[in-house]
Amino acid sequence: MSKFRKENKKGAPGVNTSSLPDIVFMLLFFFMVATTTKESDPTVEVTRPEGVSATDLTPYKQRSEIDFLYIGEPRNSKRAADFKLGHALFLDNVAQPQPGELYSTNSIASWKQDKWNSKPPNMNEPISNVITCIKADKGVPTILIFDIREALQEIDALKIAYAVEDKSAY
Amino acid sequence: MAKRDIPEINAGSMADIAFLLLIFFLVTTTMEKDTAYIRYIPQKLDSPIPPPEIEQRNIFEIRANAANRLMIRGKIIENPDDISERVLEFYRMNRNLTASQTAAYIKNPSYKGIDFPFYSRVTMDEVKRKINENLDELDKAEAEEKDDFITFYDKMVKNWQKKEQALKTLKVNELIEIHPQAHIRVVVQQKTEYRLFAKIHSEIQEALVELRNEAAEKYFGESYSKMRKRLDQDKEDKKGDGKKIKALEVLYPESIIEVKPKG
Repeated sequence: MSKFRKENKKGAPGVNTSSLPDIVFMLLFFFMVATTTKESDPTVEVTRPEGVSATDLTPYKQRSEIDFLYIGEPRNSKRAADFKLGHALFLDNVAQPQPGELYSTNSIASWKQDKWNSKPPNMNEPISNVITCIKADKGVPTILIFDIREALQEIDALKIAYAVEDKSAY
Repeated sequence: MAKRDIPEINAGSMADIAFLLLIFFLVTTTMEKDTAYIRYIPQKLDSPIPPPEIEQRNIFEIRANAANRLMIRGKIIENPDDISERVLEFYRMNRNLTASQTAAYIKNPSYKGIDFPFYSRVTMDEVKRKINENLDELDKAEAEEKDDFITFYDKMVKNWQKKEQALKTLKVNELIEIHPQAHIRVVVQQKTEYRLFAKIHSEIQEALVELRNEAAEKYFGESYSKMRKRLDQDKEDKKGDGKKIKALEVLYPESIIEVKPKG
């Protein structure tokens, strides 16, 4: 039987991995270019409604002329009862006392004002030009949108944006 | 001197570093773009000036009730996709009338477009006169320190200056503009779902973009959406799109009134 045994046992040749970094860098650059940073993970459930011909907010975002607020049902369904019509607000980049803190509509004015006061010095837009982007869930009762509008009107933050998922073909 | 070999740098961990960065970007970013409809909240006035009487023909009212049913100008609409066509009809019905036709039809109750807004023609001289008139009023208000009047006339002056700029950009002698009071009114109820509210805005925007595209092709030989996109890319605005876009927005303004649901 020794006839069939191989004489010198060579292992499989090692795979040349020297181009692996190149491949990974390529992937990395692709993702850096194709994506935008997330502002935060909201703790309310938001499925945006669909729409067409919406404005792309990326240029405003780059100039940090935009604040996001989310409105939807809390992920923690026990908390839903604490809020008007069961829908709570999640405000982005707020110094949160507890993780997952949710708000009702009367906290908007102070949030917006605080954010505007702490803007970088090179951002010199007046508060009336800083967009407040409302990311609302499909099922949010519209009265809550009007509550938000009213709160913003009080502090002269007059530019708002209704977020939708753009379905128009590019 | 003898040639010395430069020791090779071990690049074996380069892949690990790149992976680490890659994963960091994967986690902190999103693919989806933020797209939205930009709208303006009216300024709060301390002592509101009573609204002027608005003719019914200048109101395009979209109502949505708590059961998410739609009504446009008093008629029930089953398919929300029809809104944009109705908006276009609202803008286009009397748009191509000549000045003399407009004068004749506006008094003729059997004319089919009697319930739609009429267009008026404003010349450069008139625009300039209006700017001066409003500036005088503004001075008067400032002298009397009436804040609400100051904001009002300030707005009026800016409004007419926009028209002046639009006339220059469009290189025309008279601006054919829709009745200044013509507007779209969105009336919802408390429990109307946001889905439908967004749909209404989507349809309005679709119609406005179409109208502006048409006008842009006519005056500048390029579409409005294309100019918008280019302006977003190019902050310095080398091609002068900013002015053109503003002119088109004077021609077809987004006059939308969103009425707060009562009760």
